[in-house]
Amino acid sequence: MSFSPYTQNGGTILAIAGKDFCVVAGDTRQSEGFSIQSRYETKVWRLNEKATIAANGFAADCKQLVKRVKWRLETYKHAHNREMPLKSIARMVQTMLYGKRFFPFYSYVIIGGIDDDGTGAVYGFDPVGSYERETCRAAGAAQSLLQPFLDNQIYFRNQQPADPTNPPIPGTLPLDNVLAIVTDSFTGATERHIEVGDALEMYVVTNSNCDLGALQQITQSATKTDLEQVAREEAEFNGPKSCKTFKLLRQLKKD
Amino acid sequence: MNAFANELNGARGIDAALHDDFEGGSGGMPTLQLPNTADPTGFLREYTDEQNDPSCRIKINHGTTTLAFKYKGGVIVAVDSRATAGSYVASGTVKKVIEINPYLLGTMAGGAADCQYWETYLGIQCRLHELRNRERISVAAASKYLSNITYSYKGKGLSMGTMICGWDKGGPAIWYVDSDGSRTSGNVFSVGSGSTFAYGVLDQGYSYELSDDEALELGRRSIYAAGHRDAYSGNTINLYIVKETGWTHKGTIDISELHYGDWKPKNENEFRAPSEPYGYDIRHGTE
Amino acid sequence: MSIMEYNGGSVVAMRGKKCVAIAGDLRLGNRNMSLAANFEKVFPITQKLYVGLPGLATDVLTLRDTFRFRTNMYKLKEGREIEPNTFAHLVSSTLYERRWSPYFVEPVVAGLDPNNSEPFIAATDLIGCLNFAKDFVVSGTASDKMFGMAESLWEPDLEAEDLFETVSQTLLNGVDRDALSGWGAVVHLITPEKIITRSLKSRMD
Repeated sequence: MSFSPYTQNGGTILAIAGKDFCVVAGDTRQSEGFSIQSRYETKVWRLNEKATIAANGFAADCKQLVKRVKWRLETYKHAHNREMPLKSIARMVQTMLYGKRFFPFYSYVIIGGIDDDGTGAVYGFDPVGSYERETCRAAGAAQSLLQPFLDNQIYFRNQQPADPTNPPIPGTLPLDNVLAIVTDSFTGATERHIEVGDALEMYVVTNSNCDLGALQQITQSATKTDLEQVAREEAEFNGPKSCKTFKLLRQLKKD
Repeated sequence: MNAFANELNGARGIDAALHDDFEGGSGGMPTLQLPNTADPTGFLREYTDEQNDPSCRIKINHGTTTLAFKYKGGVIVAVDSRATAGSYVASGTVKKVIEINPYLLGTMAGGAADCQYWETYLGIQCRLHELRNRERISVAAASKYLSNITYSYKGKGLSMGTMICGWDKGGPAIWYVDSDGSRTSGNVFSVGSGSTFAYGVLDQGYSYELSDDEALELGRRSIYAAGHRDAYSGNTINLYIVKETGWTHKGTIDISELHYGDWKPKNENEFRAPSEPYGYDIRHGTE
Repeated sequence: MSIMEYNGGSVVAMRGKKCVAIAGDLRLGNRNMSLAANFEKVFPITQKLYVGLPGLATDVLTLRDTFRFRTNMYKLKEGREIEPNTFAHLVSSTLYERRWSPYFVEPVVAGLDPNNSEPFIAATDLIGCLNFAKDFVVSGTASDKMFGMAESLWEPDLEAEDLFETVSQTLLNGVDRDALSGWGAVVHLITPEKIITRSLKSRMD
């Protein structure tokens, strides 16, 4: 019998950047083959006030990777007395993934957050560390179902602008719009992919300019969505100008 | 004092140990963790090699067309931007030209991470060379640095086909370096799954006496041809020119817009639009 | 590489309100090399019935001819055009005849019932297992991508022109994420009054 240290735990993750926010989402089903191991196991983690990470693939590798990233960020904070900037986290994750080039983390990583210039940013990775800044990215089991939809709705691919002199610019959609696209993406993927479902976690990383009205609105919509501010104490400690991260929880079909 | 320092070096704390598997020891080459099996290379192939097993779980992005050629005015570098995992187009916005420093460019074909990581690493070493020797590294030396790395990993599963392009004391230079350890200089190269399509246009139109505009046009037209015919190449073209003063980016050009004749330069640095659509009228006629 | 991906190509069909749409790409490839941008894989069977045949190109042509022969024979014997549901079963049994050496094609059927203009769509796998869907069916190398698009864009009772837009967006955005499909597309919109066939301008890379 050969050495087989990997398994595939299903699920899907997704991130979309806006002008003053970034949404990082993932479903919460964890499966192995046709069995569901858990209906609520998170794939998205807040790293600091400006960065949230999502990792998908082999759950053990993903968890180990995120654990190491968090540890490095904590060390950095104490050494430099500031949070590591988003682009530096991205480069660090590249070196961490490539460090296991010959024994890869079976892990597709997306980092979303607020970049140095205050705009929303998404960094997408392959399992051995090649990465790129993008406006949106889907990864995991239903990647191929979600990404064409994002191309269409976020990058406006194959769409003729109503006003050709003033075409829409990718990455400038308002938050309520983006949240609706994320929700629709996942409900669609849940219908057609057996490894996607149970619940949807949407982390919304906001800068201080972000209009938070859309968050309140979505909790009052017909389908029940729970809203929670992640690390509220920390945000209050850092003052009114700090970046706040919110977590939205919405139920998906469980069959 | 020295003894104390040595002691610190010797007794490496948990910090150093945890750093080990992705950053290596003190100062030298990064050390990359290997799986604890009798045949680490076979292990890697089992889980990542698409040729070996298309259903393998860890998909590493592949598929490309890149080209570079020398002419009397300098070097033209042109690449596409598509990354595929199997038949899925994983990305259409990959930067396949790695800007090592203001005088050196590296192209990306094969494993995206291998090229990105080692050419970034090469950039660090080139900067250190400058600081140590008070002059820029030659393209030959930089490329040899890279080929020494790829040769030292030969057979371990790296996958790269890269052109190191630049301008040094000897003028324009292109070195082809790959993961087998090959290193060759030449005037015209194209690398990747779409290279045969690019060569078809490139060889036909190539002359050392080309003007800057003619050379840029040839580079762009060749990648367009590859993007058109090769399923694993396409989306956009990144065009660069290297002169004595260093490289300049001449635009990110959508292949579809070239095909239908819709492309316009977005600023004065970008290369001019072609005089006619590359594809649509030729294929469909204007009736 | 699977034989189903040797030539590439994709088809989608959707139901609307008193209408159906079926669309296919135009690529004919040889593995990574695109050969032709005029390889239609959606064929008319009757005035109100189309079949899409994505898969191995040689089998696409063989099956097209087989279906033409068999539907012509049906017409001669029965003195009437074949109905969509009947044709779907003809497709299924034709494929199952080759159970142990199959045609490498996964057909899609779309049409209107000639009696009451009820929309009909169906798809089968390569050995003829029928799937009668009420919403949409997809097939070919971009099927997973088009599933994602269709699941988000499609809604019940779309009018003809809205259905055209939905099926077009599903196909175009789906094939743009598939290396082996694309190179042009054709949409057939089948309404009780007429058939509208349109070529779509798509990415050619």
